[in-house]
Amino acid sequence: METMVAAAENLGVYLESFEALGRRAAGREPAWLKQRRERGMQRFSELGVPTTRDEEWKYTSLSELRRNDFRLAAPAPRVISAGEIKSMGFNEIEGCRLVFVNGRFMSGLSCLEAGSKEVDAGSLRDFLESDPVEAHLGRYADPENHALVALNTAFIEDGAFVRIPDRVAVEKPIHLVFVNLAEQAHQVSHPRTLIVAGRDSQATVIETYIGMGEAYWTNAVTEVVTAENAHIEHYKLQHEHAAALHTGFTYARQARDSRFASTSLSFGGRLVRSDTHVRLDGAGCECVLNGLYAVTGHQHIDHHTIIDHAMPHCNSRQLYRGILDGHSTGVFNGKVIVRRDAQKTDAIQSNKNLLLSRDADINTKPQLEIEANDVRCTHGATVGQIDEEAMFYLQSRGINRGDARSLLTYAFAADIIDNLNVEPLRKPLEQILLSWVEQAEVSA
Amino acid sequence: MLEIRNLSVSVDNKEILKGINLSVQKGEVHAIMGPNGSGKSTLAQVLAGRDTYEVSSGEVTYEGEDLLALTPEERAQKGVFLAFQYPVEIPGVSNLYFLRTALNVIRKARGEEELDAMDFLTLAKDRMAALQMDDSMMQRSVNAGFSGGEKKRNEIFQMAILEPKLAILDETDSGLDIDAMKLVSDGINKLRSPERAIIVVTHYQRLLNYIVPDYVHVLADGRIVKSGDKSLALELEEKGYGWIEEVAAEGELVHS
Repeated sequence: METMVAAAENLGVYLESFEALGRRAAGREPAWLKQRRERGMQRFSELGVPTTRDEEWKYTSLSELRRNDFRLAAPAPRVISAGEIKSMGFNEIEGCRLVFVNGRFMSGLSCLEAGSKEVDAGSLRDFLESDPVEAHLGRYADPENHALVALNTAFIEDGAFVRIPDRVAVEKPIHLVFVNLAEQAHQVSHPRTLIVAGRDSQATVIETYIGMGEAYWTNAVTEVVTAENAHIEHYKLQHEHAAALHTGFTYARQARDSRFASTSLSFGGRLVRSDTHVRLDGAGCECVLNGLYAVTGHQHIDHHTIIDHAMPHCNSRQLYRGILDGHSTGVFNGKVIVRRDAQKTDAIQSNKNLLLSRDADINTKPQLEIEANDVRCTHGATVGQIDEEAMFYLQSRGINRGDARSLLTYAFAADIIDNLNVEPLRKPLEQILLSWVEQAEVSA
Repeated sequence: MLEIRNLSVSVDNKEILKGINLSVQKGEVHAIMGPNGSGKSTLAQVLAGRDTYEVSSGEVTYEGEDLLALTPEERAQKGVFLAFQYPVEIPGVSNLYFLRTALNVIRKARGEEELDAMDFLTLAKDRMAALQMDDSMMQRSVNAGFSGGEKKRNEIFQMAILEPKLAILDETDSGLDIDAMKLVSDGINKLRSPERAIIVVTHYQRLLNYIVPDYVHVLADGRIVKSGDKSLALELEEKGYGWIEEVAAEGELVHS
């Protein structure tokens, strides 16, 4: 009952925004999009904001979304400078860069020519009439069962579109930068991304989420579809403002012999939920999901992953590392599903957590659901503190306690950082992590 | 250089060292021998500043300063070095980064210029060659996946880089084959100088054929029960520790 009442109470502001968007888009958006958006709004009204009674949201309370009315942020409310973006923690990565402010593409801040000319990369709005967008947008994300995905879908107006044609290999990374520019409290933006990788294609796509302003909410949905033998390397760098809410849902669908490797790097935000849902829909696929989260203060971070092995001879690898300090809380829920036809599945999942403070807390739950009988699946989760033996060893070599602690904390994340294939991403990440470790040290 | 007076140490209320007295001067090499469980490693760890041990009485002065009042890193910065019996594995931290950080902290404490990456690498390669260590070791994580012998060699390598004033070697010879022991001993002997003191903690006399000590002390049941020159080590080799343990059990101190 409470759920229904809460949803109903809150619906007003979303409906208002939805209607305003409808008026704005009238006559401009294709009929199929209007239909999908309307369905999204309908499902959201029915489902309501999830509560902690929902098993999937057990440890992550969205009560703030019920307490406050989050209004749709105006798309690109003003022109921002590259310097401003930089001040939010954005780091230059060479290659093709697309910048979005409150979900709206900003051509002035973007550079397309650096990418391969054969790649379609740009504003989703510019490609709405194209076949691949109609064919793929909203096909993999699941608005029927996930209220926030439904809400994002209801507000598709713009977003990022990347299409790599068959047999094209893009050398430099394609960088999508989503800036949430909140001019007042309680604004929401719904970034949307569609990545379509053709047969035998190859590309690296980085999503960066940053923002400024107070208590804004980013509710992002990304869909990735890889055709036969496509190789997509995907990164999500979540570096939102310290007061921000971030909910993000990545859905990937893999055709046979394709490879999808996605790394979630999460440092910002006050309340963060990041889901990755991959369906291995052809034989011989490889899926790698890595993650690194480092939180402190009163941050809460929740990662949910699902790897759905639907076909035989697929490999999946998951390695998530978490560092929690202060009063921060974390959740890791990783599920590997191996369906009846998915014989010879080889799945490994590991989640390791380092607690730097007695007040930090992590709930980790690796899950396996196996219906096939000839598979190799392992999973494990650990929660530990800084190793005092190692501390003493470093100190006995003259390194002071604080630096020793930083060094060991950093080393804990080394597995993930060493696995970054994008060299230009490594440096900024090392910097983010080092400054994080130093701050954690100061507050310790 | 180092004065230990009536040092008693316990862990979990169990007394392990029961009134140790030891005086070490610059330029000297002292060997501390004794059966397993006699407290040798405890003494080494307490001198380096391990805080799991509780000093119940006694004092330790190092170059006129109260050593026990210093943190482990301060001791290291002032020239104390412990080669660990069981070197700790630290995955994710490269040997190179670790050791350069350590050296520069110590150089800074000595009032010396920090070494840049190039100069450090030159120094490291030189010291590694002397220990017949492979260059690739620098890129590997500290002790991670090292064999027992590699770990011990890495300890001596660190010592050769950090050039301590007081080196305490805790069973550095255990588990080494004869070739490795010769290399390690050479490394230690190179460090012998009128300005330095070395304390060699060992269970076996064998090492002392290569590192000839000025003094030998026998530790049993938390006490130094016998002190002498290098001939004491040979005597122990011949008679075994049983003889010493009997002496210790009688509570009788033997002076030669």
